[in-house]
Amino acid sequence: MTVDMNLFRGFVEQIKMLPSMAQPTDYPDSDRVAAAKHVFAEKLDSRMASHLEACVHCGICADACHYYVQSGDPYYTPIRKIEPLMRYYRREKGAFRWLNRMFESDISEADLEQWQPLVYDSCTECGRCSFACPQGVDIASMVVVMRQALANAGLIPAGLRAVEQEQGSRGTVFGVGGEQLMQAVEALREKGHEVPVDKEKADVLVLSSTLDVLLFNDALESTVRVMNHLGLNWTIHTCAFEGANFGMLSGLEKVQKAASERITREAIRCGARYVIVPECGHSYPALRWDGANEHGEPLPFEVLAISEFLGREVMAGRLKLRPVGEGRRITYHDPCKVGRHGGVFEEPRAVLRELGLDVREMPASREMNYCCGGGAGLFLIESARRNRDMGFDLKREQVEATGAESLVTACGSCRLNFLAGADRVHWDRGIESLVELVGQALPEEPPAS
Amino acid sequence: MSLADFIDIWLWRFALTVFVVGAAWRVLAMLATGRPKDLSTPRASAAAGGWHALFSRFLPRPEMAGRERLHVIGGYLFHLGLFALLFLAAPHVDFYRERLFGVGWVALPNWAFILAAEAAFLGLLLLWLHRVLNPVTRLISKTGDHAASVLTFLVMLTGCLALARAHESLRLLHFFMVELFMIYFPFSSLMHSITFAFSRAAIGAHYGRRGVKT
Repeated sequence: MTVDMNLFRGFVEQIKMLPSMAQPTDYPDSDRVAAAKHVFAEKLDSRMASHLEACVHCGICADACHYYVQSGDPYYTPIRKIEPLMRYYRREKGAFRWLNRMFESDISEADLEQWQPLVYDSCTECGRCSFACPQGVDIASMVVVMRQALANAGLIPAGLRAVEQEQGSRGTVFGVGGEQLMQAVEALREKGHEVPVDKEKADVLVLSSTLDVLLFNDALESTVRVMNHLGLNWTIHTCAFEGANFGMLSGLEKVQKAASERITREAIRCGARYVIVPECGHSYPALRWDGANEHGEPLPFEVLAISEFLGREVMAGRLKLRPVGEGRRITYHDPCKVGRHGGVFEEPRAVLRELGLDVREMPASREMNYCCGGGAGLFLIESARRNRDMGFDLKREQVEATGAESLVTACGSCRLNFLAGADRVHWDRGIESLVELVGQALPEEPPAS
Repeated sequence: MSLADFIDIWLWRFALTVFVVGAAWRVLAMLATGRPKDLSTPRASAAAGGWHALFSRFLPRPEMAGRERLHVIGGYLFHLGLFALLFLAAPHVDFYRERLFGVGWVALPNWAFILAAEAAFLGLLLLWLHRVLNPVTRLISKTGDHAASVLTFLVMLTGCLALARAHESLRLLHFFMVELFMIYFPFSSLMHSITFAFSRAAIGAHYGRRGVKT
């Protein structure tokens, strides 16, 4: 249940070495601008146009951003992060572009370089600003486009780029591929768990993540135990198990599509009706919301986050759990990509109530939950460390305001940032995984049917 | 042609044309950018989310209320005051009946009109002070944002001066400022008074189909 902190610290040290492993991306200056504009032209649709037309520069978005709230520095104002996109729209697409060109300067290579730390280091695409804007400007969606433009222009920060390049070229993440998954599976089998790997046909395709293979082994073990406990016809596939999608996080769409399609094709091949995404925040929207669009047609299976799946099973009465630590005060952190961007709010809370825990809500929770501070790949960007720490410090205040003894979440990336923050300030609160709690609370007997 | 005729007839026709055609063109160009079909399976209704966001965003989120108090107070004072002045002030109702729609409606009593004007002035002043004094808004504001504030202020100020309807020149000055405002409107951030509805509906629909109320 507890994470080996020495292992965790070793993992963090490895992350610091990532920039030295990244391959350079040398573009001529003019090509960078053209490459970024190509993405803007392709992605700018009427939804974004309506947002760009409605902004009045009121600055309320700043008050929603964890980095601004914590630092008070206007540098972090969310709407600033999309300024090159705004300029492109006004000069190239807007109704009065001929007029705007007289007053607005064109995007330059220097602009793109200047915006790199704003778009990557200073935004987790958490979307809280989008929910606070009185005009309904969806800034987070446009930061995604900004990342895609900078990625196409070869401006992904080195740490994130190294992992994106690895996943794009070899299909592995931090060196974890099918072989490493099998080592983890063998360890589970030695503990007596049945783990069906690479089955020809299965109703449920279970995904995992590098984090669960390397660091959070208990999350993988708990998932296996739940699947077996429910008696499901399930499998995990050595060639399509990685839920993490560093194409999505970095903004490089071809890598995002390749990673997503690998899973989609395997799920279709084995006839899966459900694909269960692990505790890895962005894995969920990568497949649940973007997967069909990458595939080019609606997916013939349902994509569920593990927290969503567990909640649905509990709410339907199919999964009964033993109370663990009855009355223990906990608070739940909604991973932004699963909650605010995915609508999964009730299911994890249903699980926590079934576990008999005293669930306390943070002052800002659910749709207005603050980000962990390290999402959207920030944990891999060394220059974003100060921002990650700021995010954690704000979150710590939120958790402590509830009086909870422990923080539960359903995202490995959130856990990473919480663990790093807790380690830094010697925080006395627990940091727990939802699926691991469920794994502890499974009854001995399987369900009746 | 006298100056009065120029302002009352010719410039008015020009301003009205620019206002209507310009605003319609800007909205059409926005919609013409198109939108790819989302192939993911929705969790809930996009339309319901869109309608919800259209109205819910008139109110600040409770989690944000403490941080944006000046915005909320200034915003409500200005927008409600201006709405009342624009559509319910007796001289404006008369104008709509005589020059635009052929029908009028019940106007505000004088005391309510004065109250609305004071609220609008106070609100505009608060919002503009916030724009120039707050480090965030100072950083992100454009020249056009200040121009829109100044123009709106001048329209309201000349409107107050013309209130007594005692001097024709003051009425013409106010009308002239309104015409400048209408000509500037389609090219500026003043368009947010139309585009806000599209933006809110869009974000509401986007998150609504994911089952998230915005």
